[in-house]
Amino acid sequence: MSTPADEAAAWVKDCVVEVHQGGGVGSGLTWAFDVVVTNAHVARAGRLDVRLPNGQVREAFVRFADRERDIAVLDVPRLGLPAVRRRDPAELRPGEVLFAIGHPLGVRHAMSSGILHAVGPLPDGYPIPPRLRRLPWVQADLRLAPGNSGGPIADAEGRVVGMSTMIVGGLALAVPITAVEALVRARAA
Amino acid sequence: MPSTLSSFSDQLADAVERGAKSVVSVHARPRLPSTGVHWRDGVIVTTEATVQRDENITVTLPDGRRIPAQLKGRDPGTDLAVLSIAAGQLPVATLGDPAALRPGHVVLALGRTGDSGPRAAFGAVSATGGKWRSWKGGEIDLWIQSDLTIYPGLGGGPLVAADATILGINSGGLSRPLATTIPVSTVERVITQLLAKGYVARGWLGAAMQPVRGGLVILSVEEGGPAALAGLMVGDVIGSLDGHAIEHPDQVLDLLGGDVVGRTLKVELVRGGKQQRVDLLVGERPRRAK
Repeated sequence: MSTPADEAAAWVKDCVVEVHQGGGVGSGLTWAFDVVVTNAHVARAGRLDVRLPNGQVREAFVRFADRERDIAVLDVPRLGLPAVRRRDPAELRPGEVLFAIGHPLGVRHAMSSGILHAVGPLPDGYPIPPRLRRLPWVQADLRLAPGNSGGPIADAEGRVVGMSTMIVGGLALAVPITAVEALVRARAA
Repeated sequence: MPSTLSSFSDQLADAVERGAKSVVSVHARPRLPSTGVHWRDGVIVTTEATVQRDENITVTLPDGRRIPAQLKGRDPGTDLAVLSIAAGQLPVATLGDPAALRPGHVVLALGRTGDSGPRAAFGAVSATGGKWRSWKGGEIDLWIQSDLTIYPGLGGGPLVAADATILGINSGGLSRPLATTIPVSTVERVITQLLAKGYVARGWLGAAMQPVRGGLVILSVEEGGPAALAGLMVGDVIGSLDGHAIEHPDQVLDLLGGDVVGRTLKVELVRGGKQQRVDLLVGERPRRAK
């Protein structure tokens, strides 16, 4: 029997890949035809391996990265996966159900669920450098672990609102998907 | 495509929106503000530990206005502090009944830090129980433990039920790392006392006791204290207090935690092998200078 959470997760799962670099593993989400986005801290090398949900491995190349905002855009020839559906996180209300899919601690395609805590910069007093604190974040009350980095955080209908990036004070911080859109648009122009 | 999950999601977001109408940000410590609840008109409740100064306190309302607040009293025992603000500024909290909570019930923690929107955390009630005493000595009417994460700044904020009613005040400090909630009835009792006196008076006997066969033996008597004034002496064995048989000092503390200051208790004791009865006028526990 499929549950509502199953359905929502199923919409996103096909769009989540593993990004391997050396011994480390992160997550990535499909953006467009043969394009995957992930965190810049997951894609430090120029050439990476991307493992698809069906187990096949593809070679990937960093097309460009923004280290400051922690976004990397990868070219993945023969990716053959659908792009994620997206939603502007500015539309979210605190309390909305969110879920993350990724590979925390190497566990493949694990889902964690929670709610939206807030959208925007973090309050003063969180243990994070001020430069990062003042950036806009999708802040979620859900559990992330190393390996989730670069993976999606999606709403109850499977629309991706952010990219899991770090944990600060127990809070899951995701780069707003609109920031990824802005970067991709700026580089394409 | 509205699914069961998205309607659940909408209900949670509605509960946050409604609950947050009476939730303010309290600026009473350096850097990170804490959260407070507009409990009665003009009365804000927050956690005592987050009120680190007695003056120059302000609160930020849900509409973004920042207004002055006055500290009316604090009770470290229950980790509650009460502030007053001008009346009529925002809706008063809609209170629910925390006694109806059962393990597994879905709950939310709300916060507000500065002039941004509300902050929310989600979880389930993990355990409930009866009356308990905090490690700081306060009597709390119900044990409500949840798996909520009380993120920095959420302390002093409300525990909110799925129907958006407020069930109590979340304290990060009473039983770290677990989230503990001070239930509505305790908040009511404490704020009434804080508004009247500025602190919660606790009963005091002025005697040190230890369990022995037949009750508690008095080990020392504070000079001029209530026990001394009642004529109690070192070596007396107290068998019953206020009609209750006494076997453990906790029972005395329970008795003194209630509204007993100024009441006369009947003490039955054994002195030199003989039963005696004395009347003891309960005093107020001396308050340590801050």
